Amino acid sequence: MNNTVTTKKAKPASLDRKKARAGWWFVMPFVIGLVLIYMPILVKSIWYSFNLITMPKGKFTLEFCGFENYSEALFSDPQFLQILTASIKQLLFDVPAIVIFALFMAVILNQKMIGRGVFRAIFFIPVIISTGLIESIDSSSLQSYMGSGVDTGNAQQSSAAEIVSSMDVAKLFGSMAVGTELVDYVVGIVNNIFNIVNRSGVQMLVFLAGLQSISPSIYESCTMEGASGWETFWKITFPMITPMILVNAVYTIIDSFTAESNTVMTYISNVYSTQKNGQTISSAMSWVYFLVVIAMIAIIALILSSFVFYQRRD
Amino acid sequence: MNSVMNKFKKNTTSRKEMKKDFEGKLSLRKRLMMKIFSFEFLKNVVVKIFMYVFLIGISYIILYPFITKISASFMSNSDFHDVTVKLIPKYPTLETYKFVIIENDYFEALINTTLLSVGVALLQTLVTALIGYGLAKFKFTGKSIVFGLVILSMVIPHKTLQLAMFTYFRYFDIYGIFNLLFGETVKLIDTVWPLVLLSLFGFAFKNGLYIFIFRQFYKGVPDELEEAAYVDGSGIFRTYFRIILPLTVPMMTTIFMFAFSWQWTDKYYNNLFFISGDAPHFLPGIVKVPDSLASIASSSSPIQESAVLNTCGILVILPLFIVFLFAQKALVQGIERSGIVG
Repeated sequence: MNNTVTTKKAKPASLDRKKARAGWWFVMPFVIGLVLIYMPILVKSIWYSFNLITMPKGKFTLEFCGFENYSEALFSDPQFLQILTASIKQLLFDVPAIVIFALFMAVILNQKMIGRGVFRAIFFIPVIISTGLIESIDSSSLQSYMGSGVDTGNAQQSSAAEIVSSMDVAKLFGSMAVGTELVDYVVGIVNNIFNIVNRSGVQMLVFLAGLQSISPSIYESCTMEGASGWETFWKITFPMITPMILVNAVYTIIDSFTAESNTVMTYISNVYSTQKNGQTISSAMSWVYFLVVIAMIAIIALILSSFVFYQRRD
Repeated sequence: MNSVMNKFKKNTTSRKEMKKDFEGKLSLRKRLMMKIFSFEFLKNVVVKIFMYVFLIGISYIILYPFITKISASFMSNSDFHDVTVKLIPKYPTLETYKFVIIENDYFEALINTTLLSVGVALLQTLVTALIGYGLAKFKFTGKSIVFGLVILSMVIPHKTLQLAMFTYFRYFDIYGIFNLLFGETVKLIDTVWPLVLLSLFGFAFKNGLYIFIFRQFYKGVPDELEEAAYVDGSGIFRTYFRIILPLTVPMMTTIFMFAFSWQWTDKYYNNLFFISGDAPHFLPGIVKVPDSLASIASSSSPIQESAVLNTCGILVILPLFIVFLFAQKALVQGIERSGIVG
């Protein structure tokens, strides 16, 4: 009697267990890779940042030195902290600009119009093509030679090729009596537009996907009730898209972290190849930078998530 | 107003009668005037004009660098000394292309890169799809830990791990087993194995993102599909490969395109894993000034040198661009269906 009861109960459980085992099979590549490749690399990288390295001909030797690399990076290196703070500032400036621009473009590209496919294809080009290698080939001198007005985001060249001088915008905003900070911000965005457009491709697609998942019947009922487009955007589209804003803000930070144009990473790889002990110091620098960025992501995610609206599907 | 009435009448009167009635009240000209001078219509036109100006402007910003690169690549030496030549060269020449293709071993690099990119991208697509499916559809202990680790691998950039990654593959050894068996470690640097291994286990460039996208995609696939298959006696893996995988093709196309193009234009892993001279050549290797042009480029101006380097860049992205033109529609569709929204 007792026996039969247990077997009866065990049957549905066994299917679940089978499914659970299958779940492990599916994620097995990741787990194997984690154990065999990723964890050793990760641990090694942290370990190196606490060591001094010497490389006499092919072999390398390590010598434990505690926090020396970190203090070297943070206190002795004249430039690292400066570049780090400048880059963080730049990032805080870029994230809202990229997210807002991407949202704006996605809303426009989501409308029915002639040539939508062509525009979408063009806006997608930077994601596919302007990465890594192509980004690293400097073409700014070429562009300014061609008499261009487009800034490539390259600091040395940008003064020569500004689209609007800050004077123009300052005049425009001066009469509106808004603060100089805002004026500087807008001028910065406009002059940095090339950079921003190039870096907002993936975010735009995420927003497009988000916009298309909003049920058309909500919009329909809105127009029936007589809401204007402006109201519909702020009352319907914006709240529904807030989860995507969070995703995109985090993605933008991570993405600019690995971008070729990132000044901190450029500096770190410069240290890696030129300085004595550069390999381990650069490891320490990368970890410092990584921790700073993680802290930033955590803060931004925390702030944004309190504004995020989740629609209960069921 | 009229159209509403129109619809209303549709139920009661026949179409012909209705048309007659409608035309009797307002002449064609009056109706046209009403349409054109209504506030709504004018507003729409103005908005449309602004929108197109804006879109074309941004498209110009995106395309402009490519235009300058292309035009500079056809310029001959004398064009660079002529101040009146801006975008359109006076004496167009194919010499730059010729020298870059012949002297920088373009075709060898092209074939190598094609093989590597296709292989690596296929591996990454399949593996990340599997992992994403496992994370989306199954409940097992430790799932949240695995997912957290996926996010971690997405967040830590590989540049942070530069040195560790190099030494790991330079002295490749799985927990000291190789050293124990053969007495030495294996050198995987200068081979494609580091990239293949990373792709095989879903740890290559941005694979965390792909896993995340696939997970979100599979969460949107209704469970009833699999349940029906299970009831019919299909096993879990058979169900996945026969029923779920075909559904995934648009998404996989998108991910494949990402992986393919990011591997194609990759420079970081190339510099890290292929260091010696006899390592296989890939496309990043062709970006240099060819010997025949070296004297001209350095003597005349940095602009010409930049033009030559950008010609190399064009040759790198040209095949990619052709692939993009064909795959573009599938790419955008796949992303739209991804349901990243969750």
